[in-house]
Amino acid sequence: MKREEYLIFILEIAGSALIGFFIGSLLLLVLGFDPLKSFSSLIIGGLYDLDYLLSEATFVMLTGLAFSIPAMASVFNIGGEGQVYLGALASLIVAHHTGNILLSVLIGVSVGALVGGLMGILKVYKGVNEVITAIMLNWIFYYITLYLITNIYYNPLAPYESIRVPKSSRIGYIDTPLGRIHLIFFISIITCIITYIVLYNTKIGYSIRVSGLSYKSAEYAGFNPSKNVVYSLVMGGVFGGLSGALKVVGFSYSIDTTMSSLYGIGFDGIGVALLGRNNPLGIIFSSIFYSMLIVGGHIMQIELNAPKELVDTLIGTLIIALSLPYAYRIILSKFKIMRMVRRF
Amino acid sequence: MIKEFIDLLFLSLTYMTPLVLAAIGEIVTEKSGIVNIGIEGIMLFAAFSATVVTFFTGNPFFGVLIGTVLGGLLGLVHGIISIYLRGDQIIAGIGLNILAYGATAVGLISIWGNFGSSPFVAKIPKIVVYNRYISPLTISSIIIAIVFWWVLSRTAIGLKIRACGESPHAAEAMGVNIWLVRLGSTIVGGSLSGLAGAYMSIDLVGQFSRGITAGRGFIALANVVFSNWNPLLTILGGFVFGFFDALAAYLDIIVQSIALTYIFKIIPYASTLIVVTAFIGKSKPPADLGKPYFKE
Repeated sequence: MKREEYLIFILEIAGSALIGFFIGSLLLLVLGFDPLKSFSSLIIGGLYDLDYLLSEATFVMLTGLAFSIPAMASVFNIGGEGQVYLGALASLIVAHHTGNILLSVLIGVSVGALVGGLMGILKVYKGVNEVITAIMLNWIFYYITLYLITNIYYNPLAPYESIRVPKSSRIGYIDTPLGRIHLIFFISIITCIITYIVLYNTKIGYSIRVSGLSYKSAEYAGFNPSKNVVYSLVMGGVFGGLSGALKVVGFSYSIDTTMSSLYGIGFDGIGVALLGRNNPLGIIFSSIFYSMLIVGGHIMQIELNAPKELVDTLIGTLIIALSLPYAYRIILSKFKIMRMVRRF
Repeated sequence: MIKEFIDLLFLSLTYMTPLVLAAIGEIVTEKSGIVNIGIEGIMLFAAFSATVVTFFTGNPFFGVLIGTVLGGLLGLVHGIISIYLRGDQIIAGIGLNILAYGATAVGLISIWGNFGSSPFVAKIPKIVVYNRYISPLTISSIIIAIVFWWVLSRTAIGLKIRACGESPHAAEAMGVNIWLVRLGSTIVGGSLSGLAGAYMSIDLVGQFSRGITAGRGFIALANVVFSNWNPLLTILGGFVFGFFDALAAYLDIIVQSIALTYIFKIIPYASTLIVVTAFIGKSKPPADLGKPYFKE
């Protein structure tokens, strides 16, 4: 990458974050909250508990991958949300019946992959836009999960949650010098690194990237771009399912009956992927930033009574701002012209 | 049995209305070459603002008006991003949806201090037909569908809009200002989505609740594909999708089982997916859809 490319990259990320915070501040002012106080509470609150920060980062890191890999093949996986629900549900049920960690995570991952595959097949062979499929599937899985955890897999001792994952089949935590950290965070970091290697150093990764950049070139190069779309969505589904599975067997150990512990993980992944520029290594960092916002949002709500949905507002604005790489290039070129004019 | 059937038909009409309005809006937008998947977000914003205005003024017509205008403004913003700033149209739409969900929830909490829903507000007066109620907006939506079909397929401005979406270079040679036509189309499209959103809160439910649209914007997108970008056919598509929505609501009232509520709620989404899968393939989107236009 040239120096200028780096500059544009930094300008994009910083500019988008600034726009996000600016619009957020305006909204806070209108609603009668002190923006400075709210944002400091958000950021300090978000960074306060390292284990919480990294655990929340785990889930959005994986749904970030779930969005970014299909995005490389030029398809939009908005279905991360549904994949998380189904992955969580499947691994909860398998863990409950078999007590086997590996099997439950594997089943969670497989159902995610199946959902991704379904989206891909409908897109490629039936021409159904993946965004429509994804949203419909998200809602279908939302209600299926709700039905099952309130009617069949409910917890007789605690009416607000599902049955719990048996103690023997939970993924625990390790003690580090920085305190106790849930193991799932390290699992997802390794996943990101492996994904990076697959995307940039293998034939399948290369052909997915080429299909995304130019459908025709991929065809001439002898790749099958349609198949690559399906593959990329299956890979995305794997990570969506993994995110849900790790949430249940590695962190919450149950699903609450309002689904609030699962809701939004998939959608947040979209922002994480865009902020990390669809690069698996960039996603590691963007997911931690994102997690700070999510965790901080809860803290802000408790401390200042400012609604935590403010974070959604912030993130939505951030995503809109990130859709504008061309605008930043214009700003940069204007800036350069001004500097050249001044030099003469 | 016949009485229940007619009830269900009338209920389908009420659920059909937003799906038709939003779909027509999206058709106008897409015919000009811009794809806006943020209509779900526009509907949410409009539903919220219409409720707020009606709550403070007591006049539902004023609420619907503001909702429509706000929808147009959001269409304008999406248009500027897509046309002049050459942003990624899909990503801007996704951002708009998330922003709308967050901002309306924040507004709900800070205005009424309630995390779930607003108080009930005045509804638009209904027209009585065969002892059953029908909303004037439902009738309007059918008229709007006919008008937009006529404008898009039979007038000069309609031809210009379609040219921008099918072959912008040819349109430019014809002397059409592509950017302006596209911007106008996104504004009109946004207003219709806004009207659909305002209908959902002010007319259908009578209050705003968090995430009230619940994917209806995307069902409207499915309706666009189903109707093959023809405003007249959105009525049929809207009725089919609205029927399943109505069926879910109807079964819920009749069966009265808390457990099955969740299963009934799956009906509209599952049937949308099935209907779209079965009917697609015969439909054809505008050729230049979703691509930014570079002036030469």
